[in-house]
Amino acid sequence: MHREHRAEALVARALATLRDEILPTLSGDKRYAGSMMANALEIALRDMQGESDAAEWALLDPIYGEGEGSMARLAGDIRSGAVSEASHAKLVENLRRHVVAELKVRNPRFLKSRGVTG
Amino acid sequence: MSDPKTTGRPRTLDTGNLAPLESWLARSVDARTLAITAAELLPGGAVGENWKLDVAVDGGAKAGTHTWVLRTDAAARIGVSLDRADEYAVLRAAAMAGVRVPEPIARAEEADIIGAPFMILGFVGGTAQARRIVRDPGLATFGPDLAEELGRQLARIHTIEPPADLPFLAVPERRAARDIVGDLRGLLDQCSDPRPALEWVLRWLELNAPEARRITLVHGDFRTGNFMIDGARLTAILDWEFAHWGDPIEDLGWFTARCWRFGNDALEAGGIAPLGALLDGYNAVSAEPVSEREISYWQILAAARWAAIAVLQGERHRSGREPSLELQLTGLMAPEMELDAIDDIRRLVARSE
Repeated sequence: MHREHRAEALVARALATLRDEILPTLSGDKRYAGSMMANALEIALRDMQGESDAAEWALLDPIYGEGEGSMARLAGDIRSGAVSEASHAKLVENLRRHVVAELKVRNPRFLKSRGVTG
Repeated sequence: MSDPKTTGRPRTLDTGNLAPLESWLARSVDARTLAITAAELLPGGAVGENWKLDVAVDGGAKAGTHTWVLRTDAAARIGVSLDRADEYAVLRAAAMAGVRVPEPIARAEEADIIGAPFMILGFVGGTAQARRIVRDPGLATFGPDLAEELGRQLARIHTIEPPADLPFLAVPERRAARDIVGDLRGLLDQCSDPRPALEWVLRWLELNAPEARRITLVHGDFRTGNFMIDGARLTAILDWEFAHWGDPIEDLGWFTARCWRFGNDALEAGGIAPLGALLDGYNAVSAEPVSEREISYWQILAAARWAAIAVLQGERHRSGREPSLELQLTGLMAPEMELDAIDDIRRLVARSE
C-alpha cells in the first residue's frame, strides 16, 4: 500500500470513529469541538484525495508562464491593476475555477447550495 | 460563535464582595442606597463576561427594583472595533435617537471597582441566536413583521449624523466604500495567505464605489444574530462595537448579504423575510428611500468584508499567536464569500450591459 493511501485510510478511520463512537456521547462545548474536529478531518481527507494545485497553475501559468507565477504575486498585480480582465480575458473565469476547486475540498455542501456541480 | 478556549477562565466579578460595586453604582445613579440582590454569570460571552444583576435602588431617578447586565471589557478585540467606552457612547446616541437598545445605565473606565472596566445596561429578554430564529417554525408568520421593524430601527440609526457627540469616530469622505476597501486591504496585508480572487473583488469594488448620498451612523454589524427577539417581538439591537460614520446603505447590504442568511437563501432580509419587508419598514421612516438596486453593491462589499475577516481569523491561528481549530476553520471559509461576490459582480455587470 502506498504511503499516501495509508495516511488516507487512517484519517478515514479516525473520522468514522469520531462520528460513530465519540460525537454521540458529547454535549455542549465538547460537542461543538467534536463537530469541528469531524469537519477538519473531512477537509483533510478530501485534500488527500484531490488533485493538488492543478487549478492554481491553471490560473497562474497563462499569466506568468509555466511554473513562474505565485498567488502572492497575482494578488499584488490584481490590486495594482497590472493584471486585469482587460489584459487577461480568462482571468475572472480562472479565478472562479480556483475558488471552486478550493471549495470542493473545503466545503462541497456550500457549492451544492450555490448550484455548482462538477 | 462560541469559543471553547474561554470556558473555565477565572471570573472578574467577586460575588462574595459586591460592596464596592454597590456603592459605585449608587453614586452613578444618584441613589441613597443600592443593593445587588442576585448576581448570575450568563452563558456565552466569548470575549468578555456578562453578569445578570438584580438590583434594588433606594432614591433617585432609578428608584425601584431592576434587572441589569454588567458587561466586562474584552481581553482582545478584533482590528477595527471600538473600545467599550466608545461603544457605550454610541449606545447612548442610539437610545436617544429612539433605537431599541439595552438601556445604557452606567460605565466604569477604572479597573479597581471589580478588577476590569465594565458597563451596566438594562437587561433584555429573548434570544439572539441566528440559527434558532431562522429555523423557527413560525418564521413565515412573524418574519415579515420582524423585518419591517428592523427596517424602521435601521432607519432610526441612520438619522444620527456627525458629530452627534461621537468625536472618536472619523468622518469619511463621500465615497465611504473606498475607505472600507482600503481597510480590508490593510487587513489582508497582515495575512500570509494571498487571495487573488478577493483582491479582484476589492479592485472591482474600488473602481465602482458609489458616492454616498449622506453620511450617517452605521451600526457596522447589523445582521441576524445581533438583535434580540422575545417570541416574535424585537427587543434590542445589540453589538455596537463596529459602529462608524459611513454610507447608511452599508448596513442594508450587510444585513441582506447571502453570507448572513444562515441557509435561508431565498429570504434576502437576513434569512427571515423577503427584502421588500425590510425596505417597507426602512422607507417608512427614512427621509431617503432606498432601492433594491442600490443595495447590490453593498451586498458584494459585505461578502468581501466577511471574506477578509475570515482570512484574518485564519491568520490569528496560522501565525501561532492563538492556536485554535475554530479560527483555522473560519480562515478556510474565505472562498465561500469570494464565490458569491464574483457571481454577484458578474450578474450585476450583465444586468447593466
